[in-house]
Amino acid sequence: MSYTVDRRGLLRAAGAGAAALGLGGALASCGSDESETATLTWWDYFTLDNFQPGMNRLIRDVEAGVPNVRIQRRTFPFAELDRQITLGAISGERPDIAIVDNVAMNTLGGSDLLADLTGRVEAWGQADQYYEGPWDSCRIGGKVLGIPNNSNCLALYYNTRMLESAGVEPPTTWDELASAAERLTSGGRFGLALSAIKSEEGVFQFLPFLWQAGGDLDTFATDGATALSFLHDLIAKGSLSESCLGWTQQDVNTRFMNQRAALQINGPWQIPTLKQADFDWGVVALPRDQEAATCLGGENWVLMAQSENLDKAWEVLEYTQRPSVLVPYLVSFGNLPAREDLADRGAWASDPALRLFLSQLPLARPRRYGRGYADASQAISEAEQAVLTGSASPSAAARTAAAKIDKALSGR
Amino acid sequence: MRPHRSRPPSSRRRRAGYLFCLPGMTFLAVFLAYPLFYNVRTSVHDVRLSQLLGGSWQFNGLDNYRAVLDDPAFWHSVRLSVVFTLGSLVFQFSIGFALALLFARPFPLGGLLRSLLLVAWLLPPVVSGTLFRWLLDAESGAYNALLEAVGLGSLSHDWLTDPSTSLAGVVFANIWVGVPFNMLLLLVGLHTIDPQLYEAAAIDGAGPWQRFRRITLPLMRPVSVTVLLLGLIYTFKVFDTVFVMTGGGPVDSTRVLSLYVYEVFFRFFRFGQGAAAGLLLLVVPLLAGVFYVRRLRREETTGGAA
Repeated sequence: MSYTVDRRGLLRAAGAGAAALGLGGALASCGSDESETATLTWWDYFTLDNFQPGMNRLIRDVEAGVPNVRIQRRTFPFAELDRQITLGAISGERPDIAIVDNVAMNTLGGSDLLADLTGRVEAWGQADQYYEGPWDSCRIGGKVLGIPNNSNCLALYYNTRMLESAGVEPPTTWDELASAAERLTSGGRFGLALSAIKSEEGVFQFLPFLWQAGGDLDTFATDGATALSFLHDLIAKGSLSESCLGWTQQDVNTRFMNQRAALQINGPWQIPTLKQADFDWGVVALPRDQEAATCLGGENWVLMAQSENLDKAWEVLEYTQRPSVLVPYLVSFGNLPAREDLADRGAWASDPALRLFLSQLPLARPRRYGRGYADASQAISEAEQAVLTGSASPSAAARTAAAKIDKALSGR
Repeated sequence: MRPHRSRPPSSRRRRAGYLFCLPGMTFLAVFLAYPLFYNVRTSVHDVRLSQLLGGSWQFNGLDNYRAVLDDPAFWHSVRLSVVFTLGSLVFQFSIGFALALLFARPFPLGGLLRSLLLVAWLLPPVVSGTLFRWLLDAESGAYNALLEAVGLGSLSHDWLTDPSTSLAGVVFANIWVGVPFNMLLLLVGLHTIDPQLYEAAAIDGAGPWQRFRRITLPLMRPVSVTVLLLGLIYTFKVFDTVFVMTGGGPVDSTRVLSLYVYEVFFRFFRFGQGAAAGLLLLVVPLLAGVFYVRRLRREETTGGAA
């Protein structure tokens, strides 16, 4: 690997040298230039084929636009990346730059693995261009430990024809959602589909209900119970399949695509797939209860504290935030920008579905709960699974979970 | 160690012998002994994500073990692992035995069928796990469709999302994965039985059942024990099949020991406790392994005569 880079470096040096000779001068600077070329390692989890052209283009852009930088990229499966970064702390093999899920900031943030970017960000002065949720997800313990890469959140998709033939409007409140889901259920078709799988994916989908009930993790015993019993009622009425306990968000979208669900809760990353559907669909904000709320997803760029090329790596991050680099990258990924100043620029400015998601970003909340979050998240998914399988009542499950959450978040 | 054949080797030959062992020993040292040592070391220190970089691991004696043994979730997963292993072994073995008996006699297309069965064993567990996740799916799964088709629609079920059947679901998949392995070894065992024994017994008037009970079963005992021990070692630490099918859920109905260890390590990043739990997970296969090696040695010393 490094051999090819070295060879490329050599060719580049030769080219630069020839150019310098041709221009008749600046020989000295050519030599010093070459010695400063930094090879930065870059890790991410965008392994799918359709991400590669965009990522390759971004890296080409960076190599062309930032002086003396080479990027060596490595990809991992989604669930592997955090683990590899942590293992890197032991083995010494870690990247200079990584793109991580914003929820990973909870665990990585307390680990001293990530470089503190506070000073650099202040000098840069663009922090206020970002939506609050995405930016907050990068701020841990008063330090800025990353900058947002892209953002997403959840909303409610609906099958237009099914709603029309049932005479139902897209729901805007919990009551409307419950009655719509009930009226849209028939035969092998469920009114609503969502993911309640026992992983962070399920928690990502559950938290909006907790927040909509007006609560947060610190009031789980009461507001958690409200949210849990709302979902439990949907299952009891048959509007939501009990199988949602095993569904990933991908599975949920498959149900919706196969027209076996009239409504689904999902993110904007499903839009490219849904565009191929042979039926009309639309998307609206998640229904509200006491409050309107949705959960923030997406990735952040982080730098490793132990990196030998921190200055160069920061230069790369700064470069990627130029609209001419960032917009094409986000468009090719089908992602939304985390920056407000790009709201009127890319594909999301004209596509109504993307616009809806973008309009939700200001109220999208990051899961920024600190080091104990993994335990809290586990407690939430266990409570949800216990209630939806009928093995515990909403209030009992919420009380058990609340105790675990309090213990986890108080630093044990 | 075989005294009857070898003369005491000259020191040169002995040195050559060690030399031949060297690559294997190096391999074991690097890939087995060192990680194991590292794991033991980790298990007696307080290692969490925040301590990884600091370098100063706090020695905490048996605290990690205590924390694991005090955790009800650990014991729950031990129980699940025992049920999972026993359930898998009983069916893998009996179905494997029945298939071995079937394939022991030549019949048209027997060889082809046998090799097809082996495909199950060759598939990566992630693939077979995913396959069974689809097959057992409540709405689009083939098994429910099958039940419906034969008029037993009332039995169709959310196999993997109902906590009362999810463990049975993953055991079912694991049986399917393990049957070919059992069949193959048992088939080899059956071929080592002298056919003249059956002929003689038949002449003496023994029926098929008697021949099976008096000849096949006793002579298959050593192979069977080996197969079961190997099965125990493989099954107790199964991770991928379960992880892919249910991720340990719903609630915690399929969180077998290997998944518990995984969670402590990579969801909660409590490395010290994870290492302790990992070593506890190692106990059962280790005991089985010791038994297996001892048996193997006994068979070698006694079994040379046949």
